[in-house]
Amino acid sequence: MRQKLAGLPQLFNADRLSMVVLALIFFVAIIVASYATRYLKGDRRQKAFFGNLLALVVSVSAMVCADHILLFLVSWAVGNALLTRLMLHKHVWEAAKQSSIIAVKNFTLGFVFLGAALLLLYNVTGETSIHALVTKPIAFKWVFTAGGLLLLAAITQSALWPFHRWLTSSLNAPTPVSAIMHAGLVNGGGFLLTRFAPMLASNADILNIIFITGITTAVLGTLWKLMQSDIKRMLACSTMGQMGFMIAQCGLGLFPAAVAHLCWHGLFKAYLFLGLGSAAKEKRLDLEYPPSFIQFLMALVCGVAAAFMFCISSGKQILAPNTTSFLTFLAMLTGAQFALPIIRGKATAKLLVAALATAAMGFIYGLSVGLIEGTLAPLHLMAPQPLNAVHFLAAALLLGSWLAMLFINPSAQKNLYPAWLLKKYVQMLNASQPHPNTITAHRNKYQF
Amino acid sequence: MLASRTPIQLPHTAINTNFKEVSMKEITDAVLAENNTEVLHINNNLAIYKAMENSWKKITPFWPLKNLIAVNPLAGFEHVAFEEGLAQAHAYFQQQHMPAGMEHVNRETIKWLQVFFDQGQSTIQMPLRTKGFLKSTLTLVGFDKQLHKNNRHKVQWLAKLPSAPEEIIAEALLYLGINTDDCELFLTLMLTTLPGWAAYIQYRTNWADEQDAFHQHPVTQTEYTAFRLVLTCLIWPQAKELINWHKKALLETNITNTYRTIVNNEASYQQSLIKQLDSIQPPPQKLKAEAHLVFCIDVRSEPFRRAIEAVGNYETYGFAGFFGIPVTIGNPVTGESYASCPVLLKPAYTVQQLPNCSHQSCKEGHSRLKSLKKLYQSLKYTFTTPFSLVETMGLASGLWMGLKSLAPAGASYLQSTAQKWVAPDYTVTPNIEAIPFMQQVSFAAGALKLMGLTGNFAPLVVFCGHGSTTENNAYATALDCGACGGRHGAPNARILAKILNDENVRNELRKQGIDITADTTFLAAEHNTTTDEVEIYNEQTTGSLASQLTALKSNLALAGNKNRIWRGGEMGVNTTAARAQQAIGMRSKDWAQVRPEWGLAKNAAFIAAPRWLTKNINLEGRSFLHSYEWEQDSDGLLLTTILTAPMVVAQWINAQYFFSTLDNVAFGGGSKITKNITGKIGIMQGNASDLMHGLPLQSVFASDAEAYHKPLRLTVVVYAPKDRISHIIGQHEVLQKLFGNGWIYMICYDPQEQKQYQLKRNLQWGLLQ
Repeated sequence: MRQKLAGLPQLFNADRLSMVVLALIFFVAIIVASYATRYLKGDRRQKAFFGNLLALVVSVSAMVCADHILLFLVSWAVGNALLTRLMLHKHVWEAAKQSSIIAVKNFTLGFVFLGAALLLLYNVTGETSIHALVTKPIAFKWVFTAGGLLLLAAITQSALWPFHRWLTSSLNAPTPVSAIMHAGLVNGGGFLLTRFAPMLASNADILNIIFITGITTAVLGTLWKLMQSDIKRMLACSTMGQMGFMIAQCGLGLFPAAVAHLCWHGLFKAYLFLGLGSAAKEKRLDLEYPPSFIQFLMALVCGVAAAFMFCISSGKQILAPNTTSFLTFLAMLTGAQFALPIIRGKATAKLLVAALATAAMGFIYGLSVGLIEGTLAPLHLMAPQPLNAVHFLAAALLLGSWLAMLFINPSAQKNLYPAWLLKKYVQMLNASQPHPNTITAHRNKYQF
Repeated sequence: MLASRTPIQLPHTAINTNFKEVSMKEITDAVLAENNTEVLHINNNLAIYKAMENSWKKITPFWPLKNLIAVNPLAGFEHVAFEEGLAQAHAYFQQQHMPAGMEHVNRETIKWLQVFFDQGQSTIQMPLRTKGFLKSTLTLVGFDKQLHKNNRHKVQWLAKLPSAPEEIIAEALLYLGINTDDCELFLTLMLTTLPGWAAYIQYRTNWADEQDAFHQHPVTQTEYTAFRLVLTCLIWPQAKELINWHKKALLETNITNTYRTIVNNEASYQQSLIKQLDSIQPPPQKLKAEAHLVFCIDVRSEPFRRAIEAVGNYETYGFAGFFGIPVTIGNPVTGESYASCPVLLKPAYTVQQLPNCSHQSCKEGHSRLKSLKKLYQSLKYTFTTPFSLVETMGLASGLWMGLKSLAPAGASYLQSTAQKWVAPDYTVTPNIEAIPFMQQVSFAAGALKLMGLTGNFAPLVVFCGHGSTTENNAYATALDCGACGGRHGAPNARILAKILNDENVRNELRKQGIDITADTTFLAAEHNTTTDEVEIYNEQTTGSLASQLTALKSNLALAGNKNRIWRGGEMGVNTTAARAQQAIGMRSKDWAQVRPEWGLAKNAAFIAAPRWLTKNINLEGRSFLHSYEWEQDSDGLLLTTILTAPMVVAQWINAQYFFSTLDNVAFGGGSKITKNITGKIGIMQGNASDLMHGLPLQSVFASDAEAYHKPLRLTVVVYAPKDRISHIIGQHEVLQKLFGNGWIYMICYDPQEQKQYQLKRNLQWGLLQ
């Protein structure tokens, strides 16, 4: 693919990573466009929507295929600018305007971080090609500085705490725009870190920082998601948490796994946005927590089966002494959670049914991850790290928060909430609110 | 049945009874004690109480998404003339500007209302909700730094607040420096500056269904007013400004042009309607019809009735779609139940819909479906596992999303097949034994008399309810049967048909002069207003009846197609007879479709008359048609029922469409494309906003710029002697209000005088020009 024309710098280098992300973008864009032909019918800015969408697809395609740092930077900025324009669909609506302003500020900051990182790397290496640049040996301090800047750019792009507010305030955008946003540019952070993976993977410290940043938002975003009472903000906070997890996977050195997460979450979230008209009908079922100790133990056994199948279908070593075990651990928790309703249900031979179903789930989970990892394998982006204290701490956090949901049931305690918990609730509720300017506090300021 | 009931007027004026009792007791005590200062205090409290009560009268209820009921958003202004109400509403609800302080108060109010009234969106819910609205919110507000900014004075003020909401109101009004004279206006503005949420509280406190009336998270009107005032004291102590803001708005309001346009449009509509009706003469004699079909008065029935009448010897009738059966419908499989009757009525009995498959196998199917949902929800709504959930389901949801967007019909087929595989479909039979026998007879007699179908029964009599089928539509229930409380009409139709097929019931009816011979069979059906398909239920017919039914079915299919083609034109779909079913049916399955059907848009008239008056004219689906035979109603009781129940409901619907079109932001829901759903109860716009009560833009507008519905006040046409109508209006305040204040029109076709009259605002008749 490298067809360098004499005298001209190489602009593009479409590798397998580009192809995977291109496939995602095109797939979602086609669906969203088809959806919008009906959904936006009669809307006075339907044409502008399609124009911006097309331009967005072009610019994001350029970005994922870009090799020249300048092209990468420009297409990154143009993509974000177009996204902001899409968000501003109802441009006479003050709150929508404010949402875009917040997004513009955030993306500008991200642009500065990215620009600084690229400038630094160019100065150090003298290379304008990303592919050449990331494999060059660079002094530790420059990797650390550039890595830090790239991480900051990724944080702003993927709405990690504390740069999450543009995303949780972005819901004045039409639903199809949210769909394309949550399957598209919000994933930019994960893509960016993966692009520079060979460089970042050489530095365990920066990976640790990336991991901590990611896992913090993963937990925080999930907490906020669970607290929200409107569907769109719930989805936005959920995305925030998922982005945190994606970045955390980068921090584990498992860049292909992060890309897998980026793709599958993108599709899942786009689907939820497009179908949110049914949200009012979805009845929340009582899961009857807490389970008994025996049931819990049985679920854990099923969880182990899921983890085992996950390793097999994703081609991972069982009990590997490195960060891939973090994902195996997650597969086990998920398997246990999946098995619980079956074990507590009415099925005959519950444990057998649960174990089989859970193993199947673990298998599909592994297959999904393995599919992307396998595609990206020739790029050698997989860089599992030795396990360290931070990883164990994070695993404990994931385990603890999961157990808390299962076993601590506030409603059972007859309204006996300690003051600190009430205070925390209010604090978290406030923290997860959209920016005040983006709320339509006076109904008549809404405009269609 | 209906006639015996005085209709409740909107808005309901009942108020927190505790409050009343306390006040009255205090008054007695005070009078006994003859303590002057005490009396002063109580007079003050009484004034506040009156002001509170009056402020809530301006607020119309808003039903949640599970059963969206159409109401007049300006029902609280019906005691004044229409144009005056329009002007007042403009000042209250349509102001473009609002003081920034009030916006800030709204923002914080919305935040707390969202979490308190959440009906199952959040997993980690607001704590303390079972302690009631005011107690729980105020406890948490104490921790809300965003609100009181840790200002010591504010925190102390909060901590020292009395616990009774009425005392909080009195204290807050004092704090804000509101004069007694301005008290009512100020309290009203506390509600009207966030009208959608106030409307929801009005629903919860006065109009709620069985489940919501005894909600485990209780709220009262006094509590809500108190909460608004507390936030206002904390955030915007200068809130007194609101009074001048409103008075200025009222002075500057000019609705002359709006009103003129409305009146002109109404005049031209009425002229064409009268012209259509003018040429018609009573038919010479009635031929025995092959079948009688009774439809709901819903405007969507009219074109369908025309179509079915055109393809065969069928007679059709119009009647409220709950068929006079005010019951709660229970589902023994899911254990759920709902009131299936107009919200003006309280259901007296619970009728279970028994499944026709073995009860056990139905239950198993249902529980299988529930288990699958549980698996999904269990992974989604907790910590940690959502990360793996999205990766496991990503590919499948991507493919599914693609199929739903690019091939909605295929996706719909696949979904229903899969669903049937997990939980097979089943038909149901109502267990009418829950209704005592004599009550069954009375329901049946009442319904038949009111629809004017008391003799000469055709071999087949079909009660045809209606409902809609839409996909991914938060407003789905707004398209269902309003007479059934925003639900599908089939269950009620099934009950009436079953009652009337009972030999014993028929014997009783014979005593009342309604002779139903053995060769008549009653059937229940449902008209799907989105697809124009009609499904007939529980048909157990033999011999010649079976062949008649087959003929009827194929004629219903023909009529459906005819109607589809016409409706297609209205929706901008040009289709042919061969393709109509697919083209229109697609709209009910497409998750991206924002205009699956036009619902009751363009409604303009309510006609109570025999069918022959309207049979040969095209009313374009704009009229509610209620059957009425004036000769069979010498005491006027039937007409009283028609005018005070179905006509009032039609007026609610008419007013909802009217105001949603007039100002889709102030009275409607705004565009669907930026909608958000809060607490599973209602729509907000974008990040957060007022609860957007009213119809969405796409229900009344063909495009952002062009309205489809025409805002016309309802024209009521009655084929009856004018003195009878006058007499009825004289007895019913609600009618005097509506006609006397010009909220609707009345045109009388007097069959005795052979003349047409129009009712004037002074409730006198004038000859129609």
